[in-house]
Amino acid sequence: MKRSVVVAALALLVVCVAALCLGTPIVGVNRLPAAFAGETDLEHAVVVLLRAPRLVLGLLVGAALAVAGLLLQESLRNPLAVPELLGVSSGAAVLVGVCVVWALPIPGAPLVPALIGAVVGGLITLLAARRAVGPAAVLLVGAAVNAAMQALLLTAVSLSDSREQGVLFRYLLGSLTGTTWESVALSAPGLIALLPLALLCVPLLGVLRLGDETASALGVRADRARLIVLVVASALVAIAVAPSGPIAWVGFLGPHLARRLRPNADPRVWMAWSALFGALLVVVADLAARTVLYPVELPVGGLTALVAIVLAALLIRRRGEVA
Amino acid sequence: MRFTLIVLPVLMVLAACAALLVGSTVSPADTLTAIFGGGDELTRGVLLELRVPRVLVGLGVGAALGLAGTILQAVLRNPLASPEVTGVGSGAVLGAVAGTVFLGIADQPEALTIAAVLGGVLGGASLWLIAAKSDPLRLAVLGVLVSAVLAGASLVLLTARPQLAGAAARWLVGSLSGRTWEHWNGLWPWLLVVVLAAVVLAPALDLLAVDDDHARTVGLAVVPWRLTALGAAVLATAAAVAAAGTVSFVGLLAPHAVRRVLGAEHRWLLPASALAGAACVAGADFAAQALTALVPSSGSQRIGIPTGAVTALLGAVVLVVVARRASRAQVEGGSR
Repeated sequence: MKRSVVVAALALLVVCVAALCLGTPIVGVNRLPAAFAGETDLEHAVVVLLRAPRLVLGLLVGAALAVAGLLLQESLRNPLAVPELLGVSSGAAVLVGVCVVWALPIPGAPLVPALIGAVVGGLITLLAARRAVGPAAVLLVGAAVNAAMQALLLTAVSLSDSREQGVLFRYLLGSLTGTTWESVALSAPGLIALLPLALLCVPLLGVLRLGDETASALGVRADRARLIVLVVASALVAIAVAPSGPIAWVGFLGPHLARRLRPNADPRVWMAWSALFGALLVVVADLAARTVLYPVELPVGGLTALVAIVLAALLIRRRGEVA
Repeated sequence: MRFTLIVLPVLMVLAACAALLVGSTVSPADTLTAIFGGGDELTRGVLLELRVPRVLVGLGVGAALGLAGTILQAVLRNPLASPEVTGVGSGAVLGAVAGTVFLGIADQPEALTIAAVLGGVLGGASLWLIAAKSDPLRLAVLGVLVSAVLAGASLVLLTARPQLAGAAARWLVGSLSGRTWEHWNGLWPWLLVVVLAAVVLAPALDLLAVDDDHARTVGLAVVPWRLTALGAAVLATAAAVAAAGTVSFVGLLAPHAVRRVLGAEHRWLLPASALAGAACVAGADFAAQALTALVPSSGSQRIGIPTGAVTALLGAVVLVVVARRASRAQVEGGSR
């Protein structure tokens, strides 16, 4: 246990330093202190104004998405319950996209529309799936809601000005391109406030895992507890989606790695590890996205999706966990 | 049954006429006079060069998707199967997008169709490899995942060419705007092939939809017939995608609407689904154009609401209903 914490801390450190140093131009590790102190103009600008905000946002968004994924999976008792398949991420993205296209004067944009969209998307799925039996049917209903949302979003994109379309496309896939300290400042407080709230949900998760009947025998109203957990998860997703778009499937990979590596831990430990894996994943994927095909920058969500969906397909096939 | 076979063509013609009459530049009244030989040069030009090919492409795409959905549902014995849920549709899109990005064939309908067919085969084959022996619901969930991978890959390719993004967005969601006689010429030969294949396949589909052993007992060569049927479905989907993009869920909507009335006999089901699909796409196109007139457009050019958005919203509702029913059937059938 202690050794794994040390390894995790080291991995985090290495990834952070790599994210600050690599790219074009490459900044040597020994030059980082000077760059932060502002002694060299170019390197100061690259490291402090371009790479550092991107790194911070990547860490926060990754942790938030992974924790949200864990909350959804544990409360619905479904290893494939991810924000992408439940209409939560796409709901948030739709409202943000619509606000951009029609320049709607909504206060607190993009945070407030993302929040409303995520909660509404999740609720639509839950209501539509209420009479469906079994996890696979719930996921399929979510996929249907998701398809409708995607159609709305693509409609908004195709109605928009052609100058905005490239940006919206990138947003649709999830991308950290063009992150500034302002976008960090916009979403960081919300995320930092919500992460402890997620920890407070852990006892509820423990009860919900036992099944609805046992939960009510223990004096917990299962559907109300589930609703609370879902709202917290939706809020996390919304705040993560607002600045960077739905970075796909981090909510699946993070919790899954955590469960795989610590099979017998309690949900609180899983949550910490999920957050760590999610953060590492997004930062590494973003590093790859901006360096592999330089000067073309890939959307980071495309990379995470490819990795995760292959894993998900293997998972369903091998263990039949869904149906 | 006879009644339905009269109602469906009438519905289709009505939807086509409605789609023919609406549009941004020429009013319905002017269009009517042009149809009956009157009107000026401009009106007739708009009618013959823009509206008629658009409606024809819509009808053709709808028919192709209706056929593809019916065939897939029979062969996979899965009420949830449709081009969107089996990876065939998004595979076809990926093929077409890859062709556009790497080979620059956006304005050559024939080459585009071939690229889409290759992509559709890729999508269908990858689902087959992953999920050949799954039960209906699991197959559908895996199909959604495969589709998500393929759709993500298309988007990644597109971000490499941002200048294509606008046209591609309309394509990913399915749109009939700007369809010309060229697109119709690219579509109808394939449609003809698929229709002929459907005529030949209909009796075999009745048997394949029940179970393999039974089909073998009555002397059907199961594997070649199934492959032929799947090939026809892929071809139909790819032709539709190359002509108009992913007009979602028509392949799910049409067979389900028709099956409730006509039962399970494919000799009636196939033509009826084709007609229903055609009516559905033409009707959705009418609705999309009518809605476009109501929605404020921020762009300099008016593009319009894509047809596929209307069908996706309708189809999502149907998918929800069918998925619930399938899940309950599975529980009651005691298969879990």
